[in-house]
Amino acid sequence: MIGLSHYLVISAALFSLGMMGVLTRKNAVNVLMGVELILNSANINLVAFSKFSAGNLSGQIFAVFIIVVAAAEAAVGLAIVLSMYRIIKTINLDRADTLKG
Amino acid sequence: MDKNLLTQIVFYFFAVLTVGSAAAVVFSRSLIRSAFALLFTFFGVAALYAFLGADFLAATQMVIYVGGILVLLLFGVMLTHKLYEVNLKSETYQLLPAVVVVLGVFGVLVTFMMRTHWHSGGQSPAVPTTAAIGELLMKDYILPFEAASILLLIALIGAAMIVRRKSE
Amino acid sequence: MNPQLLMDLKNFYPEIIITAALLCVIVVDIGFPRIRKSLVFSITALGLILAFLSAISLFKTPAGSMFYGVIAIDHMAAFFKCFLILTSFLVMLAVPGSRELSQKHLGEFYMLLLGVTLAMLLLACSIDLLMLYLSLEMVSVGSYIMVGYLKNDRQSNEASLKYLLFGAVATGAMLYGLTLLYGLTGTTKIAAIREVLASNILAGSNSAMLLIATVLILAGFGFKTATVPFHFWCPDVYTGAPTPVTAFLSVAPKAAGFAVLIRFFFTGFSNPSATPGYWTPYSSIDWHILLLVISVITMLLGNIAALRQDNMKRMLAYSSIAHAGYIMMGAVVLTSQGLQAILIYLITYLFMNLGAFLIVIEIYNRTGSFDLNDYRGMYRRSPFLAISMTIFMLSLMGIPPFAGFFGKLYVFGAAVNRDLAWFAVLGALNSVIAVYYYARVIKTMIIETNEDTARFQIPWTSHVMVWIMLLPTVGLMLFWSRVQQLTLYSAKIFLG
Repeated sequence: MIGLSHYLVISAALFSLGMMGVLTRKNAVNVLMGVELILNSANINLVAFSKFSAGNLSGQIFAVFIIVVAAAEAAVGLAIVLSMYRIIKTINLDRADTLKG
Repeated sequence: MDKNLLTQIVFYFFAVLTVGSAAAVVFSRSLIRSAFALLFTFFGVAALYAFLGADFLAATQMVIYVGGILVLLLFGVMLTHKLYEVNLKSETYQLLPAVVVVLGVFGVLVTFMMRTHWHSGGQSPAVPTTAAIGELLMKDYILPFEAASILLLIALIGAAMIVRRKSE
Repeated sequence: MNPQLLMDLKNFYPEIIITAALLCVIVVDIGFPRIRKSLVFSITALGLILAFLSAISLFKTPAGSMFYGVIAIDHMAAFFKCFLILTSFLVMLAVPGSRELSQKHLGEFYMLLLGVTLAMLLLACSIDLLMLYLSLEMVSVGSYIMVGYLKNDRQSNEASLKYLLFGAVATGAMLYGLTLLYGLTGTTKIAAIREVLASNILAGSNSAMLLIATVLILAGFGFKTATVPFHFWCPDVYTGAPTPVTAFLSVAPKAAGFAVLIRFFFTGFSNPSATPGYWTPYSSIDWHILLLVISVITMLLGNIAALRQDNMKRMLAYSSIAHAGYIMMGAVVLTSQGLQAILIYLITYLFMNLGAFLIVIEIYNRTGSFDLNDYRGMYRRSPFLAISMTIFMLSLMGIPPFAGFFGKLYVFGAAVNRDLAWFAVLGALNSVIAVYYYARVIKTMIIETNEDTARFQIPWTSHVMVWIMLLPTVGLMLFWSRVQQLTLYSAKIFLG
C-alpha cells in the first residue's frame, strides 16, 4: 500500500537534488531551477501530511500559497538575471562576482 | 489486473519520472535539457498530487508551474544566450564535496523520516477539494489571500521596472 | 486560554493605510506624469505618518488575534509596528538627498518601500506558519528589487542577484522545515504547535526530526537577521545596493526577522514558567542552545571580519552582523528582561546605524567614494559630518553616555542575571575588538589630513536629518525612564 513514507522519500530526494543543483550549478537560471525543486519538495510534504497526518486542508492551502510565492520569486529572479545579462553579457556566476567575498 | 497492483505500478512510474527528471535537471550538461526535464518533474509532481487526492492543487500546479514558471524559465534561458549557440552548455562547480553533503542530507532525512511517528489525526480531506479550498480562502485564510495579491502586484511592477529598456 | 478574536478593523489600520498609500502611489505614478515626483513622496510620507499614529493606538488594544488567528495584536506587535514604520519613514526622508537615487525615477521605489513595510508589519505579528512564510517572502522579494534598483549599475545588479539566489535557497530550506513541523504537529497555528509540544508526545526519535526541522527553520530566520552561518549575502549586498537601501536593510528587515524569531520560539517552542518573566523551553528541543552558539559565532565573526575592511559600507555590513549577535543574546536568556533588552537595543541601533549610513551618504554625495581612505581629514572639510560620525561610531562601540551603551548594558545584564556571565564577558570582549575599527574611522576623519581641504556645502535638509539621528543617540539617557517603561510594557507576547 502506498503510504506516507513513500511520499516523504520522494520529497526528500527532490529536496536533496534541489540543494545539489543550487550548490553546484554556475548558471543563474540553473540555480533557480534548483530552487523550484526545493519548493516542490516542500509542497509534496505538505500535501502528503495534509492527507495522512493532519486531516485538514491547511497543508493544501499552504501549498497553493507556496506556488504563488514561487511564481513571484521566479519572475523577479528572471528579471534580475535578464538585467544582469544586459550589462555583462553572461550569467555565469563565476564571472558575475566582482563584489569581493 | 488487481486494482491495487495497478495503482502501485502507476505510482512508482510517476515517482521514478519525478525523481529521474529532477536528477536530469541537476546533472544535465545542456541548459535546454534541464528546462525540459523540469517540465517532466512538474508533471510528475502534479500526478503525485492527484494520487494524494489534491485535485485542485494538481490542476493549479500544471497551470502555474508548467504554464507560467516553466515558460518564464525557458524565456530566461533563451534570452540570456546568443541564439546561434545551439548547445547552451552549462558548467558546474566541483561535484564531489557537494555530492557528499547532499547524500548526507538525504540519508539523514530519510532515516529520521522513517523512524518518526508523525501526527495522526482525523481523516483525510474529502475529494474533491476545490469547494472546501475556496471556502477556506475566503474565510480562514482571507488575510494571506489579500497579502498574496499585494505580493504579486509588487513583484509584477518591480520585475517589469527592472527589465524595461527605457533609459532614465 | 480563550483567545479573543478581535473583529474590529480599527486594529488593522496601519496595514490598511499603507496599502492605500501603496495603491495611490501606483496610480499617481501612472496617471500624473508632471507633478508625480513630489506627489509620490508626499503620499508615501503621509501614509507612513498616519500609519505610525494608528500603530501607536495599538498599544491600548487588548491582546488577541485577528483574521481567524493568522495574526496577533499585542504590545510587542505594536512596538514593532511603530519601530518599522518609523524606520521606513526615516529612510524615505533620506532618499531624495542621496546622489545615487535622486536622479532615478522614484515612483516604483516608494511603492516598494511601502510594500516591504506592509510585509514587515504582517511578519512581526504572524502566528500562523502560512502567514509567516508569505510575509517573509514578501519582505524578501521587495528587498531583492530594491537592492537592484540601479539597474544600469553592475554592482547593484550583482548584489540583487546574489541576494535573490541566497535568499531563495535559505527560505526554501526554512519552508521544508516548516512542512516537517506541520507533519509533526498536524497544524499550522503556532499556538497549537505549542500545545502539541507540551503534551510531550515528541520524545525519542521524534525529537530528532524536530531538531532537523528547527535547524532548517533557523536557516530562514538566520538569513533575515544576517547571522552566521547565513550571513554570506550581507557584505556583498550591502556594498552593491544603493546606500539608502543598505541603511534600510540593516535595520528594518533585521528587526522584523528578530520579531518573528522571538514570536516563533517564545510562543511556539516554550512555555511561560511559574515565575513570571521566565520561560522554559520544551525538553525535546533546546533551541536556546542553538541560538547561543549562533550568537557567539556571529559576534566573533562580524567583529573580526570588520577589522580589515576599507569600504565603509562593507565595514558597516560586518558591524551590523556583529550587532545581530548581541541582539540574539537577548533571546537566548529566555526571560522578559532579555526581551526588553532586545527592544532597547533595537531602538538605539536604529538611530545610530541610520545615522552612520546617513553620513556615508552625505560624504558620497560630495566625494563619490565609499573608501575609508577618502575620509581622511574630513574634519577640515566638514566638521559637522566628522563630529556626527564620531558620535555615531562611539555609540556603536557602546561608549557611555551614548545610546549604544545602554543597549549593550541591558543585553549583557540580562545574560548575567541568568547566570550566563561568561556570555556577557564574551560580548564585552567583542565590543573591545570592535573599538578598533570604529576608532579607525574616527581617527581617519579627525586626525589624518588630506590635501583637499575645500569646505563642503551641506544642504539644510541633510543637516536636519543628521540632527534627527543625533538627538536620540546623544539624548537617550535624558528620556531613559520613558524608554524603559515603554520597552518593559512592550515585552508582552500574546500566547494565543
